Amino acid sequence: MSATLQPDLAERVGMDPSFNPSACMNCGICTAVCPLGLRHLPREVFAYVVLGMEGEVLQHQEEVFSCLLCKLCEVSCPAGVHITENVRALRHYFDRNVFHIEGR
Amino acid sequence: MSERKIGVYVCQCGGNISDYVDVERVRQAVAEDPDVVVARTAMFTCSDATQQEIVDDIKLDDLDGLVVASCSPKLHTFTFRGVARRAGLNPYRYTQVNLREQDSWAHTDDRAGATEKAIRLVRAGIARTRLLEPLDPTVVETVPRALVIGAGIAGLRAAIGLADIGLGVILIEREAEVGGHVRELGTMYPHDRQGQELISELLGEVRRREGIALFTNAELVRKGGTFGNYEVDIRTRGDSNMTRRFEVGSVIVATGFDSYLPEEGEYGYGIPGVLTLPQFKKLVDASEGPLVYGDRPVRSVAYIYCVGSRQGESGPNQYCSRFCCTSAVHTDLELRAKSPRVHQYHLYRDMRTYGRYELLYNDSREKGSAYLKFAPDTPPEVQRRGDGRLEVRVHDQLTSQREVNLEVDLVVLVTGMVPRSNQELIQRLKLPVGRDGFFNEIHPKLRPVETVVDGVAICGSCQFPKTAGESVASGLAAVSWSAAMLKQGRAELDPQVATVDPDLCTFCGACTEACPYGAIGQQDLGGGRQVAVIDPATCKGCGGCAPLCPEHAINVLGYTGREVEAMIESLAAGVA
Repeated sequence: MSATLQPDLAERVGMDPSFNPSACMNCGICTAVCPLGLRHLPREVFAYVVLGMEGEVLQHQEEVFSCLLCKLCEVSCPAGVHITENVRALRHYFDRNVFHIEGR
Repeated sequence: MSERKIGVYVCQCGGNISDYVDVERVRQAVAEDPDVVVARTAMFTCSDATQQEIVDDIKLDDLDGLVVASCSPKLHTFTFRGVARRAGLNPYRYTQVNLREQDSWAHTDDRAGATEKAIRLVRAGIARTRLLEPLDPTVVETVPRALVIGAGIAGLRAAIGLADIGLGVILIEREAEVGGHVRELGTMYPHDRQGQELISELLGEVRRREGIALFTNAELVRKGGTFGNYEVDIRTRGDSNMTRRFEVGSVIVATGFDSYLPEEGEYGYGIPGVLTLPQFKKLVDASEGPLVYGDRPVRSVAYIYCVGSRQGESGPNQYCSRFCCTSAVHTDLELRAKSPRVHQYHLYRDMRTYGRYELLYNDSREKGSAYLKFAPDTPPEVQRRGDGRLEVRVHDQLTSQREVNLEVDLVVLVTGMVPRSNQELIQRLKLPVGRDGFFNEIHPKLRPVETVVDGVAICGSCQFPKTAGESVASGLAAVSWSAAMLKQGRAELDPQVATVDPDLCTFCGACTEACPYGAIGQQDLGGGRQVAVIDPATCKGCGGCAPLCPEHAINVLGYTGREVEAMIESLAAGVA
């Protein structure tokens, strides 16, 4: 199975310059410390955003909205990824594109 | 019985030996020998305290022979030669017996057998020591001049360094222009300076120094002479083919590398738009704004890493080329500065942007480049689509093995370094070549630029793949090595070399032919009588000639026929 890539996806999701999922170096500490045990958020979902795999991002709606924004991953991140802000941006993206809620 | 006064020291090596060998029994057994005046055991014979104890014993008992039974002679021969010298004993009247690598470590399951073997080994050492004569090192005068082969960034910088510490330099370059690969480079990491600029600066510095003679279109065609006084013949091509002869004290080889060239079809190589990293780097260097390839703007690029490196079973290059990850990441950043909207995808096996180059990798990710990881058994596939764009299919390990199809305008094969074909130079200098095809140093950390050929060093990327900065650092290491050797004006060589007894020699020529160092010549003693003669400065004491001599005319000093026979008799005493 392979998906068609949307190279501009990252720009469409993160409209703020602080949006930085590509800074991730894929060490996986975030997944290891997550108190909810989320499997794909943040690392893998961020990778889908960076690669432009929109279908994969949309499949992870539940995880994107389950996150507690507790920041445990963010304070542990050695690559300085703004994880919680990036998750918020993803939620806005779902609001706009899935629930059609215009805001901001 | 001869009347020698020999001291024997049996080492425990902190348990490495004493756990498997009863060292006290060994000591008692060998102490019975009438020529042994002192026999002791020690926890660590190489410790400062025990070394001092040996010095004191030698002086007090006026010892004329020393046996140390501890580890491999590779480790501590020079340590205990130093002990002998400090005590006023000739250093060549000492024998190292290897009780660790050759006994205790090899027989951990048999304490009684290991102890018996140890006694025989030490007795053999005593037998040799009984016969040892004092030897004095061969002293040779050295010429304060070095030959540097290859005027790339390492060779140029080495030449400047040599000149600045007062050594003469002959710098030769096979090409018409100096600078090698670096001359071809635009912006380099980590300083973002231009390759051409660096080379012209270095060339300016070379020209300013009177002590450096630079020859381009030049090759080494012969090396003769002996250590410290090598004769080198340099042939230059061009208007007039000319051969000049120079005397040099050392030779520094800085002949560089070749870029790996993929085979037709390897990751799509041959398809328009599939480039090697050096080709792509040239394109980016030359581009002044957004990148264009074949009249079309480049909107996306995929890099495939480890092409021609870490090939496993599929090719000859097993090694990591080290510089290419960082070079690809740096080129990514260089392109991003010129074409901010280009999408860049990096398909890697392992990122190795070591040291501070990690910052470039961080920068590239933060600016939005995507990194995907593939496994060596599922390499990416490159195809050309109907519309002329390229499609790269890869299983990304970072997204649960998803198959990702990238549509890109260019594919960059991140190619590494391969050893340069230099067969003639290898033969002329007898350079040691490793399994990877690069030249070999003696020890990567302890003697990083020296080769087993006396007076010949290697530096730069002829040794292994290096960045320009690392090449320069090794070039300067070769400068220090040359200075240490040549600034004194004289060097001491190991006197344990082969000698010919002219009364026995009939000059059959067998030894001359067998010598791997070309150390054995022919001498006319008058009246038509020819004998072999060995140059002690060229001979390495390997002993290859001695058993071939039908007249038994050759002996290696320190390992004469008599000494070796005495050792064998001791080892085998009482064995039926």
